[in-house]
Amino acid sequence: MIAIRDVSVSFGGVLALNNLTVNLADSVVGIIGPNGAGKTTLLNVFSGFVTPACGSIRAFDTDLLAMRPHQRARWGLRRSFQTEQVVDDLSVADNVRAMLDSLPVTSRSERERQIEKALTYVQLEGKADELGSALNTYQRRMVELAKTLVGSPRIVLLDEPGAGLREEEVDALRQTILGIGEQFGAMTLLIDHDVEMIAATCISTVVLDFGELLAFGPTAEILKDDRVKAAYLGIEEAE
Amino acid sequence: MTEEKIAVTSESTALPRKSFATFPVTRPTLALLLSVAALILIVPPLLDALYLRVFISSVIFTIAATGIAVLYARLGLVSLAQVALVGVGGWVTLRMWHATGLPFEVNMLTGAMISGVVGMLIGLPALRMRGLFLALITLMGAAGFQILVTGTQFPNGGEGVLGIAVTSIFMPRPVLGESDEAMLRYVCVVAVLCVLFVELNRRTRPGRAWALIRKSEACAMASGVNVAFYKAWGFALAGFIAGIAGALLAATLGVLDATTFPASESILLFALTVVGGAYNWLGLVLTGLLFRAAPALLNDIGVNGHLAYVIFGAGLLHALITAPTGIAGQILEGLKQLTKRRVGR
Repeated sequence: MIAIRDVSVSFGGVLALNNLTVNLADSVVGIIGPNGAGKTTLLNVFSGFVTPACGSIRAFDTDLLAMRPHQRARWGLRRSFQTEQVVDDLSVADNVRAMLDSLPVTSRSERERQIEKALTYVQLEGKADELGSALNTYQRRMVELAKTLVGSPRIVLLDEPGAGLREEEVDALRQTILGIGEQFGAMTLLIDHDVEMIAATCISTVVLDFGELLAFGPTAEILKDDRVKAAYLGIEEAE
Repeated sequence: MTEEKIAVTSESTALPRKSFATFPVTRPTLALLLSVAALILIVPPLLDALYLRVFISSVIFTIAATGIAVLYARLGLVSLAQVALVGVGGWVTLRMWHATGLPFEVNMLTGAMISGVVGMLIGLPALRMRGLFLALITLMGAAGFQILVTGTQFPNGGEGVLGIAVTSIFMPRPVLGESDEAMLRYVCVVAVLCVLFVELNRRTRPGRAWALIRKSEACAMASGVNVAFYKAWGFALAGFIAGIAGALLAATLGVLDATTFPASESILLFALTVVGGAYNWLGLVLTGLLFRAAPALLNDIGVNGHLAYVIFGAGLLHALITAPTGIAGQILEGLKQLTKRRVGR
């Protein structure tokens, strides 16, 4: 359960988020909107890279904004980036291990077990010892996903995880995202431009437009909403 | 599909390797140990007195360059204060010996630790800035040390905090390095220990944190890395290693002179680390040789040693334009190509 209350962010006079208030409770929640709608800004507020002018975010009864960025990660906030951040000269396992280093997972065997579980889940179990530089785009995305899944994640933020992937890879990614809640017990917030991906994975969806909440509700209903179609799908409201 | 299966099976046979994955003896490490062993056994008796001294000094600055490489290759940060930190380590070591007379190794570690703290302080602005501005701040730290030490000189057995005497008392060499030959072996062993210590850091938690910070600070923070702590740790480690180099220099010479540690030397050593190659130990050895042996060699064949600066400048241009991993990177890449071709045949 995430309660976002009156969150506003402005960048030099441009309101990136305007008094956003919404309660998110489903296991996978989509965030959609046209370019510049404030999607990534919202994720950056979650991560702590952007400090909102006002407002609060409470997640599972914790005040998220009171913590520093790295403390949020330790608390259980996970994040993937629009441009993937796999380190080329670390092995796949070390890329994931880097995430666990800062977490209070003490025993070595437990850490190795979690790395193995995450890599198996994203089907990279045979690549653990390969360097990041040896991976293709899809595998790099999967390493980044595996990183978000170790160490008891509570909230996983995915920023366009499907960008640059082929169709069959997007299908695999879809299945992977769908299983996160059940396998790792985390809630997923997903930004994507691929409406099919959102429709297939997200139970409810937030629609942002110019920093404001345009619509929020069950994904199927939201995607039929005329205002959403007008703003996001580029279909004239008059039609 | 079949390819995937093959990959899985080959992985399962390789699984036991994981048990000592934190510090496997890789081929580069082995190569380092073997070549140093050869160097220690074979080279010292072949050198004359001058070149023994030159090589001791080269190895000492290889150690100092190891610290620069931690910041440059691992964190992507530029520090132009390394030779000044060598001076700090030397100063503390000398002061410690004159005050306490404890064994050299104790004084060396004390000097290194204090140099590490000073390095961390100079690096504090790195928490907020990087690139040119950080480089300028560290350079000012180096200039500050130059001014201080030119004013006060190095301790040479006198009274008081500064310990200046009219006639210098020389600090003795460590027990295991009394002759020049033995001292060369001694500094080589310490250099290997320093390289291995850095390597240990690189392969464990700090190394992974550094890699993420280098990738992007946002990525590191999102992975729970305390960016400030691990940057400070990088600077402390670089300063610690500089301090070791300073102590060895003090032990080799017995006294130190302020003219050895101008800020310009810090810039030169940094530039040569880029030329030699900051990404592996071979590059650091080359850095040490360029810094100390190249000018001596030029002098020896009757050319003004200052010509080395021209060569260094050309080398730096070469490195910046065509060889981001330095001469060492090019050599290793060449070797890789050669072995590939041989296997292909």
